[in-house]
Amino acid sequence: MSPRVIGANLIVSIKSFYREKTAVFFRIAFPVILILVFGTIFMNQDNVRFDFYVQDLDGTNSSAELVKTLEHNEKFKITKIDPVIDATQYARDKKLNLVVVIPKDYESSLIKRVKRKDLNASVTITYIYDPSSTSVATKMQILNSFFAEINQKMSGKPSFITPAEVSILNRKYRFIEFFVPGIIAMTVMTASLFGAVNVNAELRQKGVIKKLSTTPITHTDWILSNVMYQFLLSVISTISILLVSYAVFDASLQLNFWLPVFVVLDVFAFVGIGMILTCVAKEAESAAAAANAIMFPMMFLSGTFFPVEMMPGFLQKFSRILPLYYVNEGLRASMIFVDNMIALRCSVIIGIFAAVVFVLGMMTTKWEEG
Amino acid sequence: MTKEAEHTIEVEKLTKRYGDLLAVNGISFTVRKGEVFAFLGPNGAGKTTTVEIIETIRTPTSGKVSLFGMDVTKKKRKIVRRIGVLPQGFSSFDRITVRETIQYHSRLFNCRNTDIDELIELANLKDKSKEQFKNLSGGLKQRLGIAIALVNNPEVVFLDEPTTGLDPRARREVWDVLLGLKKKGKTVFLTTHYMEEAELLADTVAIISRGHIVAMGSPGELIEKNANYLALTLQSVDEKVFEIVQKMGFEPVNANHNNIKVRVQHPDDVQKVLNAIKDAGASFLSLDVRKPNLEEVFLKLTGAAFREDLAREVAQ
Repeated sequence: MSPRVIGANLIVSIKSFYREKTAVFFRIAFPVILILVFGTIFMNQDNVRFDFYVQDLDGTNSSAELVKTLEHNEKFKITKIDPVIDATQYARDKKLNLVVVIPKDYESSLIKRVKRKDLNASVTITYIYDPSSTSVATKMQILNSFFAEINQKMSGKPSFITPAEVSILNRKYRFIEFFVPGIIAMTVMTASLFGAVNVNAELRQKGVIKKLSTTPITHTDWILSNVMYQFLLSVISTISILLVSYAVFDASLQLNFWLPVFVVLDVFAFVGIGMILTCVAKEAESAAAAANAIMFPMMFLSGTFFPVEMMPGFLQKFSRILPLYYVNEGLRASMIFVDNMIALRCSVIIGIFAAVVFVLGMMTTKWEEG
Repeated sequence: MTKEAEHTIEVEKLTKRYGDLLAVNGISFTVRKGEVFAFLGPNGAGKTTTVEIIETIRTPTSGKVSLFGMDVTKKKRKIVRRIGVLPQGFSSFDRITVRETIQYHSRLFNCRNTDIDELIELANLKDKSKEQFKNLSGGLKQRLGIAIALVNNPEVVFLDEPTTGLDPRARREVWDVLLGLKKKGKTVFLTTHYMEEAELLADTVAIISRGHIVAMGSPGELIEKNANYLALTLQSVDEKVFEIVQKMGFEPVNANHNNIKVRVQHPDDVQKVLNAIKDAGASFLSLDVRKPNLEEVFLKLTGAAFREDLAREVAQ
């Protein structure tokens, strides 16, 4: 390994990068645009079906009346759950995104308020919700206006019904916080995959590789400098993604050592896949097509844009064999939940995968013409 | 230590097979230190395959190839440091400038003392040193490729079809650079399908056709050996002239516009033909006597193979 040679390659790669304006756009501006567009769309998502669960802890006529009123509202589709079970745990287990809990003292407070005119009597209706769901915010907004209407009819201050939010996750997070790790993983994947395909197929087809094979640069130096270049660009795009999500959406994410770990593993895994692809598909065009065929299912089925749980069961199983799924899960585990165990598990899985494909890639990429 | 061989390049019974295709068929030759050796042959003759085996980027099917006395299949690392290569259809990073490209390659060779300016000067690229590769014309790209091939001050320079696809002016400019190399005493291994190029630059020419070397020697020797005659062309002749020449025992060929071409062995024969025409009272407008060049030798030697290739190209 020669640092001077690797350095020379890095300089050439970086110069080529910033002189190619479309590359700069796709590497930095494109993920930022994705964040802005999807962040905005999902923030104000309008879902037509507002189905949620109701747990009536009061079990009185008055609370039944309230449930009935909710049921009669055409916007809602309600499923009742047993008052004896732990609603938060239930929501977690069944992956429900919203459970509305009517408290035990509902009827007694209502009587105090209506009959005894006690203005201090009030109830707290709890929304147990999954903040990663893209539709839950809208549901809660509509519920809020529904309860506000009831409050208005009863008149007087303070309001009789106050909604309270309880996340089923240990930490409260919003869609944008779900989205950012996915976009980081995807951007690094795309760039590494296409970087490797470009370097190995296009430069080979153009004859640049042939010239390099008559110089002392070793195969390992060449691949290492490309991996380092991809890592460097990944750092730049990750920083720009994070800056935009902080500045525009006020995202709250944990930055710890797992982030660089996953970025590095992401780079190695997809540079490896790219190298294998260019060996299988000799022409630059067909290698790029193969890279697209790998990239798209990975992008949509591994939980980049929406949670894997939203997909049908067989697709969820499928997503678990996609390497990007583990980068997504691992990054979310570290950036949102600070769950080191899950992050570790994902990093081991993607680490083993990266090692295998990278070694295979190095073995299959040949400079000699045969 | 490897023993330094008498010849810089030694090729012995080299064969290269691609599946059913026998690209190079048991060829042997040597290249002396300091000479310009040209591999001349039509497209598909096996020139590039041979040169790429010597450059260590292809592996031979059989035979022995050594550079500086080292086996090319075993000492790649050592060999590449001592050679400079302009591959066929040379290309480089699109967005990198001329100067940066030379700098990059000198770093690959870990050469701290490469004189970039001297190389730019040698390749006549001074005005273009800040131009990005993708904006260079074909001739400029080739000249840059030659400059790059020299970054490590190599003992042997390989130039694989350095002027293919260039217009005549660009070709001459590349030749100027190559003549500069020759003047410096570099050992140059050149492949080309341009006769003029080989004739102008080479000390030794090997004519290769369909994987075989059909002739080898200096351009003068090759002409002497294979085309030892004079070509006499008579222009705008009378109808009688053809018969007169034929009766003298020569084999005239009727070219267009009443022109006649005759091959004669001796300068005296020219005088004889002219006298015979004069005696018969016939006339012609002008005449041209010429020694054949390498092109005629080439066409003669590669004859059938070349014509077939040409027919195939035309058909395509």
